[in-house]
Formats: sequence, C-alpha cells, structure tokens
Amino acid sequence: MATTSELDRVTMVVLRYMRGPVLVLIIVYAIGITGMALIPGQDAEGNLEYMSLFHAFYFFTYTATTTGFGEIPNGFTDPQRLWAIFCLYLGVVSWLYAIGSIIRLAQNPHFLLALSEHQFAHSVKRIDQPFFIICGFGDTGSLLARGLSDHWLGAVVLDTDPERIKALVLRDYRIKMPALCADPGVPKHLVDAGVKLSHCKAVVILTVDEEVNLRIAVMARFMNPDIPILCRSTSERHSEHLTTLGNVTVINPFEIFAQLLSMAITAPRLHNLNSCLVGNRKARLGRPLDVPTGHWILCGYGRMGHWLHKYFVRNHIRPVIIDPDVGEVAGAAQVIHGHANLNTLKEAGIAHAAGVVAGTDNDHDNLSVLMCVRALRPNAFTILRQNTHENQIAFDAAQAGLILQSSLTTARRILKHLISPQIQIVIDYLREQGEDVTQQVVERLRSAIGDNKPHLWRINLCKAEAFAVAEYIQKNERLTLGELIRNPHDLEKSLSCIAFAIERDGKRIMVPGNDEPLRYCDEILMCGTEHSETMLNATMNNAYTLHYLVTGSDAPRGYLFKWLANA
Amino acid sequence: MNLERVVFGFVIILALTFNFAFVMGDIDNAQHHNVWILTIAILINLIATGLKLGDRSQVGAVLLASSLVADVLLITARIIWIVTQTDTDIGPSAASMANIVSLCGGALVASIVSVTILVGETLISRR
Repeated sequence: MATTSELDRVTMVVLRYMRGPVLVLIIVYAIGITGMALIPGQDAEGNLEYMSLFHAFYFFTYTATTTGFGEIPNGFTDPQRLWAIFCLYLGVVSWLYAIGSIIRLAQNPHFLLALSEHQFAHSVKRIDQPFFIICGFGDTGSLLARGLSDHWLGAVVLDTDPERIKALVLRDYRIKMPALCADPGVPKHLVDAGVKLSHCKAVVILTVDEEVNLRIAVMARFMNPDIPILCRSTSERHSEHLTTLGNVTVINPFEIFAQLLSMAITAPRLHNLNSCLVGNRKARLGRPLDVPTGHWILCGYGRMGHWLHKYFVRNHIRPVIIDPDVGEVAGAAQVIHGHANLNTLKEAGIAHAAGVVAGTDNDHDNLSVLMCVRALRPNAFTILRQNTHENQIAFDAAQAGLILQSSLTTARRILKHLISPQIQIVIDYLREQGEDVTQQVVERLRSAIGDNKPHLWRINLCKAEAFAVAEYIQKNERLTLGELIRNPHDLEKSLSCIAFAIERDGKRIMVPGNDEPLRYCDEILMCGTEHSETMLNATMNNAYTLHYLVTGSDAPRGYLFKWLANA
Repeated sequence: MNLERVVFGFVIILALTFNFAFVMGDIDNAQHHNVWILTIAILINLIATGLKLGDRSQVGAVLLASSLVADVLLITARIIWIVTQTDTDIGPSAASMANIVSLCGGALVASIVSVTILVGETLISRR
C-alpha cells in the first residue's frame, strides 16, 4: 500500500465528507436552473420571453442562499413564481444540509486530531534552528522548556495529557514551541516531532512511566541511529536496557538530588558555584552555604532516601534514619521505625544534631518535620525536599537552610547537558580537585563578572562560527585565550568572562589560563555576562578587531592603505 | 590618532560636502549649480571608493556599497548634463536641471549613509 502524507489524509477526509452534500447541491442547482429556463416568462411589454441560462443561474444563486434580490430582470409570471417557491425551499434545504455537514466535520474529534497532527508536523518542519524533542510535559518538562526558552533554544513537546498541552499553549516562551497531544511511543508521532530532521539535536524523555520511557527511547533510536537521547529512569533494570541502546544519558532524578545534597554538605563552594550557574536566584556567587558535618538525621527512606543514604555514607556521614517501613540499613548509625515527629526526632538525638533532611515524598510531612526541628533544635541545618511545584509559596515561606525540588534539579541538569555536556564534566572535575581549586575558579569568575548573573555558552573556533579567529590561526599565528577575550574598548582589561574548558581532539583542558594557546576548531565552554558573549562574537568574526586585540594597533584597511603600509 | 583614519575620514567627508555644495540652490535653475563642483564631487567620490576597496569587515562592505551608489548617481547626472547642456544659452533647460539635481540629491543620501556609518563605528569602538 502506498503511504499517504498527513496533508493527503486531511484533504481526503474533507473530500469524502463533502461528497454527498456537493452532489446534492449540484443536482438541486441543475433542476432549479433548467426549470427556470424552460418556464415561459414575459418582458416589460408583456411579450413572451424565456429566461436565459445565465439569468436562471443568477436567480437561483441568490434565492438558494436566501439573499432574495427580487424578480430580475422582469417581473415574473405566475408559473415562474410557482417554480420560484419550489426553488427557494429546495435550495435552502440543500444548503442547510451542506453547511451542517461541514460543521459536523469540524466537530469530529478524529478530523480535529488529523488536522492538529498535520499543523504540528508542518510547524516542526519549518523550524530553522537547532531544537530538542521533549516527551512528557510534567513538572520537569515544563521547567525544562522554560529554561530552554531563557537560553533562546527551541523545543518540540509531545504529551498524552491534553490538559498539559493546553497549558503549554498559554505560556509566554521566547521561542515558539510546537506541541502535540499524542503518544510519543508511536513512531509516527516521533517523526512528526522531527526526530529525523538534521536540526533536531536530542530527544529528552521525561514521562513518569518507566516502560513508556524505554519504548520511546527504543523507537527514537530506530528512527535516528545517531541522535543523543536523555531518558529519565529510576529503575536499575530499565537503566541497563537504556544504556545498551547507545548514546543514551540516563537521568535519575533521585541520584541527581542526592548528588546535589551531598555536594551541599561536602563541597559547599562547588554547590554554590553550581547553583549560580544553573540560575538559582537565591544563590550569590562566592557565598556558599555553611553546612555542618556531624550528626545527621534522615527522615524518609524510600527510593530517594535510599540514594541520599548512599551518598551520605560515601561522604563518611552515618545518618540516623527515621521511616515507618524500613528494614536493616548498612552504614546507618541507627534506624528508627515510625513517622518523623517530636518523639522519634528526640529518640534520633535531635538535641545534638548538626542537620536534618526532611526527605519524604509528602510535602506536608516535610513541612511538619521542619516545624518540629524548629521547636527542638532551632540552629540545626535543615534540608527540605519539595515534591510538587504547586507548593512553592509555602516552601518559600518555610525558610529552610536548603530546599531541593526534584523536578527542578532534574530539569536544570538536563538543561546544562543540552547547552553543553562539558558543563557537568567541569563540575565533576572541580569535585575531584577539591574545594581549594573551586575557590580559585570562583574568585576568577567573580573578578570577571562581579555581581552579575553568570551565563554559560559554548564557542567553536571553526570557520562557520569564528571566521576571523579560524583564519588567523590557520595562518600559523599564535593566539592565546587571553588575547581573544581582551576588551576592545580597553586593552588593559578582559571581557567579563572566563573559559571553563577547552575540548580539543577528544581531550579536555580544564579551567585554562589566559596564556593557553588556541587551535583551529577548539570547542570552548565560556562563562560570563550575556554582554560579553555579544562582544566576543563580534571579535571572533572581525579580523580587524582581532588584529587590534593581539597587536594593540589597527591594521591597514583596504588595498591602497595596505600597499602603502607594506611599501 | 591614526593617520590612515584621518585620510580616510577626510576623503569621505569631503565627498559629502562637495556633493552638498552642488545640490544647494533652486532645483531647476542652471545658474545655481556649477558643473565644476559636480565634476570634482565625482572625482572625490571615486577616490573614496578606491580607499574602501579591500576592507573585509561587514562595515567595510556597507561603506563600499553606499559609495558605489553615489558614484552611479553622480556619473549619471554628469552624463545628462553633457547631453542637455546645449538646451539653452546658460546650460540645461529647467526640466533637465531638475533631473540632474535630484539625482545628485540621491547621491547625497548615499554619502550621508557613508559618513553616518563611519562616525558610528568610531563611536562604538571608543578607543
């Protein structure tokens, strides 16, 4: 069977639906016009005259559509009037039937579905810049879409819930985000969403159902063997399955959450830097949280608690666990059965606790744990888990030491990955290097951008993106990073940005110094103000500015001045 | 200060001012417009075009384009003058004169664009 495109399908449905009404209209028109032309009439003087076919058509047209201009061109005879009555009823009824059919078609849910699929596929095809496919538009998906829009990156959204898609249409994104209410696990919908298009840079799979996620990942892999896939998964079995597909990044919200929490405890400076980089408004660069080590109490030991505990133990902290249904836990100082309340907290040694993690999957429980801790030990550090985005205002008012929202941390991690996978690599590198190296980086960044919001972007020193730089380097001239980011307005200063990493031939140079020489097609992860990105882009594509930055003098412009300079 | 920029700016602004000097006066009165000024304006414009050749920046490309527009319009005006200068004793007729001066008015706009870009670029670089 030959395949039909969406356009064919929509047109076909319309044509098939309108076949009956159109046929009826044609027959009624034919009867009415022929009758009018055959019935004898009279002219102004009363002589016998037949109506021409054209006049008959004209008369029938305004009669059938109930316009009624009257008896044109001459007054009618009685037989003509009799026929006119017949024409009027016949015509009006058949028009009502036709219009009714159109309205019925426009209300047919299957037709509307075909139409919206067609419109969606069409608007995806017209996207002329890199975009990502987001499957599943829950809390994480919508936060991710917001983050992408803030970075002027586009996305295409698929979700099975019509309410979520309706909500998306009302958002004020900077970039148009086409959305379709459809099952992303169906290959046709993935193709409509542009998985095969060259502009499509990644598929992000975020539905809550593990099986569905796996199915979408498999389909996407078959549709496009090279595309990077980011998939949410919390089960080990599915994660293993996913990694065998190749080029799949498994996103485990619980693990990301636990990593962040453990980072906050053991590497507060890095946590502070990371918070600033991902756009946390409350974080101020260079002012890390003061998280104490010592006696910790962990309330809630579900899947999330499991990961939290794992990271606690890795950081040589033995927490006391409070949970109603928990067995033996290796590495825990003590396990208390029961809900976290005044009694169990006292039993867990709240009197000398350094910090408490309220990490159950119930926001009200977490908030009430916070109230208990306030009453029993006001100066303990509190880390609060927020489960749903709706409770934001209550959590803002709670003023805990640190609030972690699973969907937000996941969305931020994915966003970092989509902007550049290098970001997470740099964070992991700093984690290994320890807090002193982090402190140096933070100092450098602060001296570059001051109190401005850090902004991350990647540059590629290839011809297409950095014409002047590529040409300069290919002439075998030496260009260092420091020269590239000099400020054209003041050669003594640099632009307000620093380089986080340079990727060259699969190797990475982490946090390079200003004397680092650059090569052709280096991929550099930059961090600085948005203004410096604009300035740097101008430098990279203007040979004269670049020459001025390197030598401190203007190069002669134009053939004549160049010739004079060389003579 | 950069000698190259002085020379460059001098020629471009001189081209604009000569163009303006020719356009001044009643549009259809041949006595208000001097054919020598027009000829010098063409020469200076051609020199300006020559100086702009070979600049590889985006701004250089727009400067060259506006200069070429001015050249085309001024040379067309000069050709019309040659063809119509025998119309009357004092030179081209009123209608021909209006044509010539309005073409030069067009060239004037192109020259203004050139100078605006030059000044703008200098201000932006703030060195």
